[in-house]
Amino acid sequence: MRRWTRCLDKGFVGLIILSTVCLTALFTGCGEEDNNETVLRVCNWEEYIDEGDWDDDERIDLDNGESVIGVNPMYEDFEEWYYKTYGKKVKVEYSCFGTNEDLYNQLTIGDTFDLVCPSEYMIMKLMAEDKLIPYSDDFFDRENKDNYYINGVSPYIKNIFDTNYIGDESWGKYAAGYMWGTTGVVYNPEIVSDEDAAHWNVLTDKKYKRRITVKDNVRDAYFAALGIYKEDLLTKDSFVNADNYEEVFAEEMNDTSDSTIAAVEKILRQMKDNAYSFETDSGKADMVTGKVVANYQWSGDAVYTMSQASEDDILLSYQVPEEGGNLWFDGWVMLKDGIGGDSEKQQAAQAFVNYLSRPDNAIRNMYYIGYTSVIAGAPDDDMIIEYAKYNYEAEDEEAEDEGADETEDEGDEDTYEESADEAEDDEEYIDYDISYFFINSEDGSEAYNGGDDEDISDDISEDDDDKDSDEVDSEADKYVIHAGASSETGELGAQYPTLDVIKRCAVMRYFDKETSEKINKMWVNVRCFNPFE
Amino acid sequence: MVFKIARKHLCIPYVLFLLLFVIAPVIVILYYAFTNGEGQFTVANFLGFFTSGNTVGTLLYSLFIALIVTCVCVLLAYPVAYILSKMMGRKRSTLLLLFIIPMWINFTLRLTALKEVLSVIEGNLAYHPFLNTVIGQTYDFLPFMILPIYTTLCKIDKSYVEAASDLGASPAEVFFKVTLPLSMPGIISGIMMVFLPAMTNYVILDMMYNSTYIMGSLIGGYFSAYNWNQGSMISIVLLAIICVATLFTNKFTDGEEAADRGAVL
Repeated sequence: MRRWTRCLDKGFVGLIILSTVCLTALFTGCGEEDNNETVLRVCNWEEYIDEGDWDDDERIDLDNGESVIGVNPMYEDFEEWYYKTYGKKVKVEYSCFGTNEDLYNQLTIGDTFDLVCPSEYMIMKLMAEDKLIPYSDDFFDRENKDNYYINGVSPYIKNIFDTNYIGDESWGKYAAGYMWGTTGVVYNPEIVSDEDAAHWNVLTDKKYKRRITVKDNVRDAYFAALGIYKEDLLTKDSFVNADNYEEVFAEEMNDTSDSTIAAVEKILRQMKDNAYSFETDSGKADMVTGKVVANYQWSGDAVYTMSQASEDDILLSYQVPEEGGNLWFDGWVMLKDGIGGDSEKQQAAQAFVNYLSRPDNAIRNMYYIGYTSVIAGAPDDDMIIEYAKYNYEAEDEEAEDEGADETEDEGDEDTYEESADEAEDDEEYIDYDISYFFINSEDGSEAYNGGDDEDISDDISEDDDDKDSDEVDSEADKYVIHAGASSETGELGAQYPTLDVIKRCAVMRYFDKETSEKINKMWVNVRCFNPFE
Repeated sequence: MVFKIARKHLCIPYVLFLLLFVIAPVIVILYYAFTNGEGQFTVANFLGFFTSGNTVGTLLYSLFIALIVTCVCVLLAYPVAYILSKMMGRKRSTLLLLFIIPMWINFTLRLTALKEVLSVIEGNLAYHPFLNTVIGQTYDFLPFMILPIYTTLCKIDKSYVEAASDLGASPAEVFFKVTLPLSMPGIISGIMMVFLPAMTNYVILDMMYNSTYIMGSLIGGYFSAYNWNQGSMISIVLLAIICVATLFTNKFTDGEEAADRGAVL
């Protein structure tokens, strides 16, 4: 100790101060930029944006003649586009975070970002803590063609964003959606039956002991355990068919009463004893290599897992259990600490969201990361549905015939016959309807009724009497994908779930401070080793 | 004023480093460990830790893992280091290199490979989480045990060994009465480098599919729940454990000199 004190004479102290000053100057010096350039600090999930550098054979040539390829990282393309469109220079400082909690911690430590992309519950938390600034009115101006977000966002998603509130404010005001999906179970149908995978209790099923992975985060684990705990109630016909089902269901899946937490703890312990592991990332690979036969997964990763497995000729399936799944979103929010009152910055941030929402860019991101964009495209823009068809439409002679039929524009009878034809081929192909995502539900709900093709053909014949039915039909028909019979449990089902699946998905709200403490304590208890019990 | 660079000024970079990255963080950790969410002084964090069966259980579980890993490492590393130190010239450096090379490969990669190997041997890894954790950690930490022991063994003056045999000690006696005691400092530094990481390195634990928390995972768990206070408290507990361990081992190695060092610590 004494040697240190001797070192600390005046000259030494002076030197320390000097070097500290130098260091600070060095660090802050890097941040300085010339005044004409706006710096936009963006923080996004890892590997959650197109980084470009595609091979030429990865080019996506859509049937409508459009072609999409990623050459440069998306944020660099944005800089160029912004300069061309607005005549102003912007520099994107792009960084990544690993989990919502990491992002939140980074923000509390004092890292400042302008635009970040957390999940819905973190958006709610940040909104509740008054850390966000709302999007400006001109962001929602549909007249402006450069406002790709408001013109292209799926009406279904927009409706959810506009009808969920924190306090008096809707999410839609503070957050612009980016990717969305469900949670469910990826499984190997040769070992795990479809019926078993249709319930959350597959995760505690002794039949698959040590061959199932569970998500290593308290919210996802809690949700699945709730599904097991409330299985009887959630699958009861009287509950499912009740008029206020969606409302009551959402309440049930956000139940954090003490007795429920205690019950969930018990189930999670069983899950820990039964699972192969609690994983954050390894589950995908373990599924493909066959170490596990089922894993709890987010839909986007499910798509990735299934497509990886299919390269090895392994067919995997994905299902949102019957009790219900978690409907999640990642969205762009602007931070008060970062943007402050800087209108240039805010404009750049909003333009960044708009640029990502341009349909060709949405496709680039979807292709690159495997998740589903919230963008459906403007009504007169077919790119997104064309991309879905490019991926999933069955390529057979019949499909081509059908295409020819459509252009010939024959009478309604023909349409009816056509769907009857398909009903015969039921085993191989189905009509997969995702119009709810593309058309405003008020117009679209009429055209859509139930899941299988027979219902649709019924619908069409019933609608014949309606005057404006032709228009509605053709509108909705455009969003029906002629796809393989197993699509519903395949990649298509994971990427664009059917309306039936969506109906049994609820948004899981953020836990307030008190609840969060209780639930985290419960989680620690589950994961710890207690020799005294 | 004329400024001359004296020898003492050479310590400035290190002092700066020490202040910024050792002293300052410890102060911050201490602050968080002894305050609650509102910034008021409290010892509730510590009381909570030592009164809950789950957290104490986790402490015991981590200690047990660390103990076994350290023992296995010593038992494996000592003979290797001994043989290495007895070798000559190029053969020795080649072999030494073989033991060091794995350290140059990223440990995620090594563990992924180990996982595959173990899967072939064991079938389903999830049935033996504890065993796999010990294997994984031993695999990862072994070089940190071999190197210090090897270095001390090389430094031992051969004349001690020769003198002992000349005076009639059997080879076993020479080893246990001369070589082993003289190589204790190497073993101690090896233990220091393996024991604490084995208590906290939860990445290996996760990768080996062990779903039971150790101390490190507990810190991670608290931090991801924005609970800086509890997380810091665990760090302090670990710091205390390692301090006690250091004092304890120093006392047992080489008498007064070590005791002095312990007192300074």
